[in-house]
Amino acid sequence: MTRMLRTCFLAFSLLTAPGALAQIVIVAGARSPLPELTPEQTEQFYLGRAHTLPDGSVVTLADLPPGSIRDHFYQQLTRKNASQIRAHWSRMVFTGRALPPQQADSVAELRQWLTAQPNLIGYIPATEADGRVKVLLRLP
Amino acid sequence: MTLTRLLRRCAATMFLAVAAAPAHAEPDTPAYPPRFELSGFGTLGAVTTDDKDVWFLRYGVNYPGEKDPDFSPDSLVGIQGSLRLTPYNDITLQGLVREDGDASQDPQLTLAFFRQTLAPGLSVRLGRVRVPFFMLSDSLYVNYANPWVRPPVEVYGLNPFNDLDGVDFIYNARLGAFDIEIHPYYGGGRIPFPQGKARLKEALGLNLGLSRGDFSLHLGHGEGSFTLERGDTLFLAVSNILQRTGQGGVISDLSGTHGRTSFDSVGVQWDDGSWQLIGEYARRKINRYAASAHGWYLSLGRRFGPVMPYMVVARQTLDEQFAEARMPPGRLAALWDLFLMSRNNAQRSITLGARWELAAYAAVKAEVTQARPDGDSWGSYAPRFDAQTTRIGGRTMNTFSLSLDVSF
Repeated sequence: MTRMLRTCFLAFSLLTAPGALAQIVIVAGARSPLPELTPEQTEQFYLGRAHTLPDGSVVTLADLPPGSIRDHFYQQLTRKNASQIRAHWSRMVFTGRALPPQQADSVAELRQWLTAQPNLIGYIPATEADGRVKVLLRLP
Repeated sequence: MTLTRLLRRCAATMFLAVAAAPAHAEPDTPAYPPRFELSGFGTLGAVTTDDKDVWFLRYGVNYPGEKDPDFSPDSLVGIQGSLRLTPYNDITLQGLVREDGDASQDPQLTLAFFRQTLAPGLSVRLGRVRVPFFMLSDSLYVNYANPWVRPPVEVYGLNPFNDLDGVDFIYNARLGAFDIEIHPYYGGGRIPFPQGKARLKEALGLNLGLSRGDFSLHLGHGEGSFTLERGDTLFLAVSNILQRTGQGGVISDLSGTHGRTSFDSVGVQWDDGSWQLIGEYARRKINRYAASAHGWYLSLGRRFGPVMPYMVVARQTLDEQFAEARMPPGRLAALWDLFLMSRNNAQRSITLGARWELAAYAAVKAEVTQARPDGDSWGSYAPRFDAQTTRIGGRTMNTFSLSLDVSF
């Protein structure tokens, strides 16, 4: 029975494991006044613990839809897996500590939002970063 | 009462304003303030105990159910709306429908605050927030965020208060390799329960959170005054006996408006994505109306893909009963003992359970708890039939819980 359960879990893990994923970059709109960010600052923002830079300017967050890019981003930045992040954000939102990131439907929509709002940051695969966005941080 | 009414009116006004706002209907609107966010959480949970002469009670003020399995201890729905006014302030409202101490399921306003960012990392909230006495107090009903069906009753049953109407400050900062959160608060709240009322007043406290990587530490202290005005039949019978036996002065230790209480807690969490260890110790001290007690739990879970089996060991211990009286042996002494016993929740328990991530933002949990209330306690149970003939203390009860939690 134990062996059967283990086999099931292994099979599931293999099915859901992300493949070799592209590098992720943290971006803002090309004309954004936001400076380059450190991994620590970005982690603070995406764990809902901060929403301003040291100079007082506000940073708002965008998320991509649930999926491998999003899971890879949070794992890289915060070392938390998808279920840990979902539990963390549920706690942050429903205790009234933080407002959730705004979820874009696609990288294309995110790019439009970044262009329209200078203080919004998001994350995309490095291969998607073009002249319309400004790279604030490259994750390893 | 006036504040509650005011908060409700604010809530209604905000929802109306948001419903009328054209931006709300535009899905592609970027995150320019003002912006409205709507989210929610819910639990459908069933509880049954193998001994059919007792009911499981979640946190002391949950009303005993009438059906078995009982859906009332854990089932709830919460809806939250936040209106971001400018990048520096917002209004948040949360309504919760669950069974309260009056066995009614009227919607309760559980969050209603205005938040202002004062400086980088520092914000103030004015209005209604959750009482944050213990590590998980302010997310007590967000069951999706917790690994178990419900946070252990041995610790979370120590505090019956939920709402804090007042003000709090939350300060987040980085200190070397640590993230710190400093959370002072001040306010009061009330709870409805059958034939009585309880009110928390001038509660003042401070929570400190320290986290680094997979590890986090919580330290909390809060204190305040409170009132507990009882009107139940057992209390009235006991009061009558105390008067007749010349001990009327004891009644002022059972019910009244001059209580002082304090809460202390220390909690740790370790979660590396595979193993999850959570432990907490909490203590409440009270000068009258309710017993002083302390509790702790230790929980260990291990993730195997979407499934996390866990085990929890928990204990609540009575430190001091809140009243003493000399009763003639026999029926009167038995009634007095019953009164004190019904107010004592000391018990030990062991829980085995599993959480299954059914989908993103949906989890199914199943657990079995073997609990043994102390000899002079009802623990987390209440008699289903005659309280005077149902012995609870010293028995071993097996309680099965199944729940579906969602967050949306």
